[in-house]
Amino acid sequence: MRRFILQRVASIVVTLWMLATIVFMLVSVLPGDVGRKVLGPTAPKEDVAAFNAQLGTDQPLFEQYVKSMKRVFTLDFGTSYQTRSSVSDIIFPALGRSGKLAVLAFIFTIPISIAAGIYAARRKDKLADRVIVNAGLASSSIPEFVTAAVLLAVFAVELGWGKAFANPPDGTSLFGQLEYLWLPAMAMAIAYFGYIARMTRAGVITALNADYTRTATMKGMSSSQVMRRHILRNALAPTITVISVQIGYLIGAVIGVERVFNYSGLGSTMLGAVGAHDVPVLQGAVLLVGIVYMLSTLLADLLIAFLNPRVRLETAR
Amino acid sequence: MSDLEKPPVGPEEIISTPGMDVLVPGHAPTNAPPSERKQARRENWRLIRRRPAFIFGVFILSVWVICALLGERITPHDPLDFRAGSHLSPRWEFPFGTDATGRDVLSRVMAGARDVLRIAPLAAFLGVLFGVMLGMLMGYLRGWFDTVASRIVEAFLALPVVLIALLAVTTLGSSSWVVTGVVAVLFTPIVARTVRSAVLAERDLDYVTSARLRGESNLFIMFREVLPNVMGPIVVELTVRVGYAVFTVATLSFIGAGPPPPSPDWGAQVSENYNSIISGFWWTTFFPAAAIATLVIAVNLIADSVQSVMEAS
Repeated sequence: MRRFILQRVASIVVTLWMLATIVFMLVSVLPGDVGRKVLGPTAPKEDVAAFNAQLGTDQPLFEQYVKSMKRVFTLDFGTSYQTRSSVSDIIFPALGRSGKLAVLAFIFTIPISIAAGIYAARRKDKLADRVIVNAGLASSSIPEFVTAAVLLAVFAVELGWGKAFANPPDGTSLFGQLEYLWLPAMAMAIAYFGYIARMTRAGVITALNADYTRTATMKGMSSSQVMRRHILRNALAPTITVISVQIGYLIGAVIGVERVFNYSGLGSTMLGAVGAHDVPVLQGAVLLVGIVYMLSTLLADLLIAFLNPRVRLETAR
Repeated sequence: MSDLEKPPVGPEEIISTPGMDVLVPGHAPTNAPPSERKQARRENWRLIRRRPAFIFGVFILSVWVICALLGERITPHDPLDFRAGSHLSPRWEFPFGTDATGRDVLSRVMAGARDVLRIAPLAAFLGVLFGVMLGMLMGYLRGWFDTVASRIVEAFLALPVVLIALLAVTTLGSSSWVVTGVVAVLFTPIVARTVRSAVLAERDLDYVTSARLRGESNLFIMFREVLPNVMGPIVVELTVRVGYAVFTVATLSFIGAGPPPPSPDWGAQVSENYNSIISGFWWTTFFPAAAIATLVIAVNLIADSVQSVMEAS
């Protein structure tokens, strides 16, 4: 067990280093002069040069690389080119806001989609199953910004049940924030309904046909007991994996939803940083998404092992 | 997925297939009976064609393909012409209404099919092509190459695809070739991982060992012996990837990395107009958004049919 966790942490560190390198390579070939971009076209040449010298963007690439890697491993993301404030002060609150949205989306989507998946599996090939499978296919294949735009038009504008600008004003109570957040969270929840429902359905169908299920039924267990003790324990493993993989996407790929609802989460932060060539912010944000993604997959593997001790952690990937 | 949709295969149907082969005009009649693999492929294709989801998907897809091919020749108005009144609600002359500059939304939606249908399938094809090559090398060669490549693949999987695509497009400019290339490169590691695991299951089988003992080169074994046996998952991956490519290309043009404004591209239209939903002008956003949704669903219905049949066989 301990060896497994150590191995995984080591591999997380290696993967993060590669992530940081990929981002660095992509950003450092961005054309254009950072100082010019930040200070604007009217700033005098000397100021731009001084600004670049201060940032170190005039140094050779390799030195910039070593420097930025040093920062990554000390978890000091540096200061933003744009606002001159600490990157951590920008990305952690943004992560918090995106996280709030993601948690709400999961609260909406997980119970409903797991229930739908189980129901569909038990009524395999009947009408209800077809409806759930096809609804899931549609919901997970439509881009989130499309769902978000439709929800915005229908609920926020026509019915007036939500807000078009999802940033709650400072000091709004947790409950009061719901009115602002539920629509964007819904857009994300709809996008993930399909993945989770289909995975649950497939897992339950496999477990329903397994020998242990037949044995349990034949020895006289009630069907709800078979469901709880045998089927769900086995069937939920792939579902948990899917959910954990989605956590990373949910936080990183909400760029579209956040843009439609003008929400200032991690997605908008990254989008803004790309436009402004703000390398430290971008790098910090992407790494943060990477860390969240990898921690959630690790957690999922541990959870699966806990639910089903037969899964050998050493071989689990 | 569902057993009900698969008609039972009678032996006479299988026997009748070689005869049909001879009758097909323009198809060279062969004296040798077609190989089992060929027969299985034909059988799969027949099962796929019978699925209602497949037929429905193909129908929607063909509508969009026709719009993309004919473009301005069949649109009721010129998609770039802005002489109509601005923000007219849907009416007989403009079934989808007009946008802020008075352009016909229906015409723009029809013409907008072109960009995404030019980029997405090609991007998916290239991504699968590169992914197959990489995955083949990783799964077949194993060793240090596999270890290093797997790490890189994993790092890529942790990256939000859309964000990296956006970064790359900002770096290289947003021509449709760049978008195609970027999406293809981002799909490569995902495909490679699937192909790698399929190849891993094959590489220790007897036919590979015997090919090696015969003294065949690695390249020959990989592409002539192993590749035909992993074609199933590759075809599935290709159809699934086309769906994701449409998704990614639409999202990219929504966040501003697509074709520039006057173009009627769907994602760009949504991006241009979503802020006016609040003022009640829902149709300028809704119709291009619905167009994206129908195209993605159509492609996924096709992919899903292919996947169910391939995985059952």
